[in-house]
Amino acid sequence: MTQSSKQTQLKIFLPITARPPPGVADTWLARLRQQYFSSALSAALTVATLFLFYLLISPLVDWAIIKAVWSAADRRECYSISPDGACWAGIVHWFNNIIYGRYPDLEQWRINLVFIALVAWAWPIFVSRFPHKTLVFLSLWFIFPLFASYLLLGGTHNIVSQIFFAVACAMVIIIVACLVWLLLGRGLNPSHSSLMRLRLPALGLTVLAFACQYYLVLVPVETTRWGGLFLTLVIASVAIMMALPIGILLALGRRSSLPVIKYLSITFIELVRSVPLITVLFMAVTMLPFFMPNSVELDKLAQVLVAVSLFSGAYMAENVRGGLQAIAQGQTEAAQSLGMNYWQTMLFIVLPQALRLMIPNIVTSFISTLKDTTLVSIIGLFDILLMAKNMALDKKWLDLHTEPLVLIATIFFVLCYGMSQYSLHLERKLQWSH
Amino acid sequence: MEPLEHPNQPETAISLSGINLWFENFHALKDIEFEVKTGEIVVVCGPSGSGKSTMVRCINHLEQYQQGQVEIFGRSLANKKVASQIIRQDVGMVFQHFHLFPHLSILQNCTLGLIHIKGMEQSQADHKAKILLERVGVADLADKYPGQISGGQKQRVAIARALVMDPKILLLDEPTSALDPEMIKEVLDVMVDLAESGMTMVCVTHEIGFARKVADTVVFMADGCIVETGPAQQVLGSPQWDRTQDFLAHVVVNSPATQNKI
Repeated sequence: MTQSSKQTQLKIFLPITARPPPGVADTWLARLRQQYFSSALSAALTVATLFLFYLLISPLVDWAIIKAVWSAADRRECYSISPDGACWAGIVHWFNNIIYGRYPDLEQWRINLVFIALVAWAWPIFVSRFPHKTLVFLSLWFIFPLFASYLLLGGTHNIVSQIFFAVACAMVIIIVACLVWLLLGRGLNPSHSSLMRLRLPALGLTVLAFACQYYLVLVPVETTRWGGLFLTLVIASVAIMMALPIGILLALGRRSSLPVIKYLSITFIELVRSVPLITVLFMAVTMLPFFMPNSVELDKLAQVLVAVSLFSGAYMAENVRGGLQAIAQGQTEAAQSLGMNYWQTMLFIVLPQALRLMIPNIVTSFISTLKDTTLVSIIGLFDILLMAKNMALDKKWLDLHTEPLVLIATIFFVLCYGMSQYSLHLERKLQWSH
Repeated sequence: MEPLEHPNQPETAISLSGINLWFENFHALKDIEFEVKTGEIVVVCGPSGSGKSTMVRCINHLEQYQQGQVEIFGRSLANKKVASQIIRQDVGMVFQHFHLFPHLSILQNCTLGLIHIKGMEQSQADHKAKILLERVGVADLADKYPGQISGGQKQRVAIARALVMDPKILLLDEPTSALDPEMIKEVLDVMVDLAESGMTMVCVTHEIGFARKVADTVVFMADGCIVETGPAQQVLGSPQWDRTQDFLAHVVVNSPATQNKI
């Protein structure tokens, strides 16, 4: 009896309702006060900083907007309208050249089309729910450059259209092989069936490639006429695209157990990393032809692309190696115990983790590659920087240096800041262990 | 799962003969001679540094031994290509620190091998992996990531990941040593269940209770040598060597967890 009465007397536990932590401001005004005016010193610092900002910003706004001249025939007219404002009229006048270089006016739609196609092509990669990202990514990597160079270069007898042709032939062979396989009635395993699913797009591309090769020949545009922001972006994106695969191969090579591969990789990485980019560029453009037979005429842009790609690849190799070293040996052992070979282990287990760890470093490399491309102006490629210099040599806009440089700085800031923000977003998205 | 069928004369699943292994100048394995029959449960125990993990890793070709030969179902592991083929088909391994792949979900951890090595379709692989996850009792965690689950759960997933490849032999390298006492039980339960299903197992463990319950053979190692081999009752009950007796006295006294476990 006492037992049961004790049970009925048992107290029932109710948790105390949660309260917000003390001292957290709830209105923006209170928050502002708490963060920036909490003490006399803090208030003084805030006011002083604001004043400093005012001192810096107001002349800039004055120069760039309020007193700026937007339309004038030449620099003299700019001066007569407003002697200490920015002369944006020159930029407006030269804008086309700053963006497209000396690419013929009538053919500039090709650049625009490539840009639009790139955005459209790459779009699915950034849509989180799109299923076939790898496929899009690979096609962007292997097929898009062919398409882009067909449009940008034009003409028929260039190496790129020949590669395009070769790829088209390879696709025909794949299709035929698939059909033969099917006719022979062999069971298709998954890798073949996904190949089969590609047969229609492959057929379309092949037809297109043949058509382009023989019927839709565009006016050829020499790479010496390429320039401006367009050229800068071409060099930067080729370097960025090539840097990662080159870097991964070099990093794996450096960790290889085969001494020849290992020491070749180390030599390459150390050699390239200890030489300034501008030296590499000079060597590629001025010295390489000495070692070539006279009949071989090298395209300057192609030489620069190879040089910049190898250079940023060598830097990337060390980033990737850092990531590889951070992956525990146990991961490799677990993969091997499942029966994976070296390449499967790297592709599915080690590299995805290593690259994820290295995103900040990799993007830093990309950003510096983008900025390094301005060095090609020194060896006479008309990138955005050299176009700006040329603008200051134009008789009508003589010595107009500041305005184009401000424009270039703004463009680079937007591009680099965009990349850095995307990398932060990517890092957050790829976090696993929470 | 019903027991696997064995012929009347069980064939030799694993055979190690004359294995010698050095790490630099340290002689880690000395003249190891050792055989495991199909369906046999072998527990390897011994003090740390005695070479028991190294020996098990040799069976899975994770260590390079300088002398001797390992055979799996009569096929030598000497050739690297053949070795990876054999490991792929016949041997699964579970590690002390799980080594789950942190960038893949629990389900993907289990299906990766099926899809990329066995060439199975995604849906089939998912189905098979889910059956195995169900069997080790973690089916509800399929969509989580390794960083989100407990140690005991991780080890059970690791066991499922090994089993999904249909190995004939399962190697376990101290599967419970990195776990809290509470989690040890859930992993041991899975291991007992596996042992009863007829899987050939070689398990490095300090869980003497587990050894008593399921082991056909106990191997005791010290200083890179096999000191004593025999039926569990014999080695654990009436050891022939002083070294074994010393060790058992230590383990049984120091491991209260084993008393009430099994």
